[in-house]
Amino acid sequence: DGYARSCGYITPESAVVSLESSFTAYCILSDYCLDYGNLRADKVIWRIQTKVVPKEHYSIINETVSRVTFNDTSILASPLTCNILVAGSIEQNIYGIQVALGFSPDKPENLSCIVHQLQTGRKKYSQTCTWEPGRYTFLDTNYTLKSRWPNEEFPDCLGANNSCTSTAVVFFVDLEVWVEAKNALGIVESDRIVFDPIKHVKPLPPSNLSLNSGELPRVLKLSWENLFHEAPLELRFQIRYKIIDSINWIQVPLEDTATQRDSFFIQDLRPNTKYVFQLRCVTSWGEHWSDWSKEVVGFTAED
Amino acid sequence: RQSIQQTYDLTRYLEHQLHSLAATYLSYLGPPFNEPDFDPPRLIGAEAVPSATVDFQEWHSLNDNARLAANYQAYSHLLCYLSTMDGKSPVAMPTLRHSLAHFRASLQGLLGSIAGIMASLGYQLPPTPTDGTPPLRSQFLRKMDDFWLLKELQTWLWRSAKDFNRLRKRVPPSAVMLHLESRGF
Repeated sequence: DGYARSCGYITPESAVVSLESSFTAYCILSDYCLDYGNLRADKVIWRIQTKVVPKEHYSIINETVSRVTFNDTSILASPLTCNILVAGSIEQNIYGIQVALGFSPDKPENLSCIVHQLQTGRKKYSQTCTWEPGRYTFLDTNYTLKSRWPNEEFPDCLGANNSCTSTAVVFFVDLEVWVEAKNALGIVESDRIVFDPIKHVKPLPPSNLSLNSGELPRVLKLSWENLFHEAPLELRFQIRYKIIDSINWIQVPLEDTATQRDSFFIQDLRPNTKYVFQLRCVTSWGEHWSDWSKEVVGFTAED
Repeated sequence: RQSIQQTYDLTRYLEHQLHSLAATYLSYLGPPFNEPDFDPPRLIGAEAVPSATVDFQEWHSLNDNARLAANYQAYSHLLCYLSTMDGKSPVAMPTLRHSLAHFRASLQGLLGSIAGIMASLGYQLPPTPTDGTPPLRSQFLRKMDDFWLLKELQTWLWRSAKDFNRLRKRVPPSAVMLHLESRGF
């Protein structure tokens, strides 16, 4: 049944190897192989895939153990095999292992979170946290978003594409959030951030905009519907307008629209002219403006 | 660290949340519970929900520690009760169930905030109820409990807003921070 049956093994069995450190493996021959085949560790030949590993990487530990060491692991690949010369010239494979090369994860950076007001569905908000993972690791790496209150831990949020979204959003309570990055070569945590989700809300833009010209030729009344209702919070607005086909938007001073409202009179317009308007909003506590609303077009009255 | 201002805003926010939640829940309970002039005798289950109503002089005489402790114990009880509310039954509207869950989470946040403030001011937390299972009661009496729970919650939140409004004026933020540092937070 063949002269040299499998008579040895490699340790480690399979390896995840860091590209930043050396790697050592041992090929351990069984006594059976020694007794019947007169096959000793000095007859071992290491291969990376089909290429023979240069002799300077080998060292004989004893009759049955050959060791191979790579200081530069970038030359490694799968499989790494241990083979032996039988009867002086026939090379017989003893064992082989898979080798995965990569990096331990970098510390995730620039963790930030935003709370989106949702258009539809029973859940009114979703909180999305994003981070930068650092270098590519070439290995399966899990990123887990962790969050807690001082006296309560919340379920882990398993990241995908360097972000994680949760619909369990509670306002006016500071939330501590951080990311844990983990693969076979290591585990590291990001810095922690503490924030009140209410300050990270990005509201939906106002909708159902309408323009009313009335009698005054230089005035238009812009009206809209607010979709964000979270008393005691209020909204601030930014209105911009331009003459149709113009490229220059004119901004209503922010201080003029700094309180909760659902309409505004724009003055000093040109009579009998077609204008386009847009607006967006931000909560009185927030930092994230909504997207711009849909445009609405209207005419000023004749003079 | 949770500030007193933030906790005050949370109670105001919860007041508004409860306003719409209670209307929805009472209409779910149906008559007579959703009728404006319904004012039943107060028959509460075994775990008496602490009444928020207190004599004004007595309330005025409470010190900060006693006020915070009363708030903490009340919301501990109310949270236990709130988790047994009938909103879980299949017939309950999904939107109502979600609103209840969101409200409970926010109330849990309030409890944690009160604990944080008490710790920062050097006060001990009062004992809180163990999670006992509510006694078996008829459906009508359970609805009565729910009705009274919502009423008490509204009064407690209204009272808490006053308590925290008063506290934030009396305790400068820096005092809170200093105390935290000294306690190794």
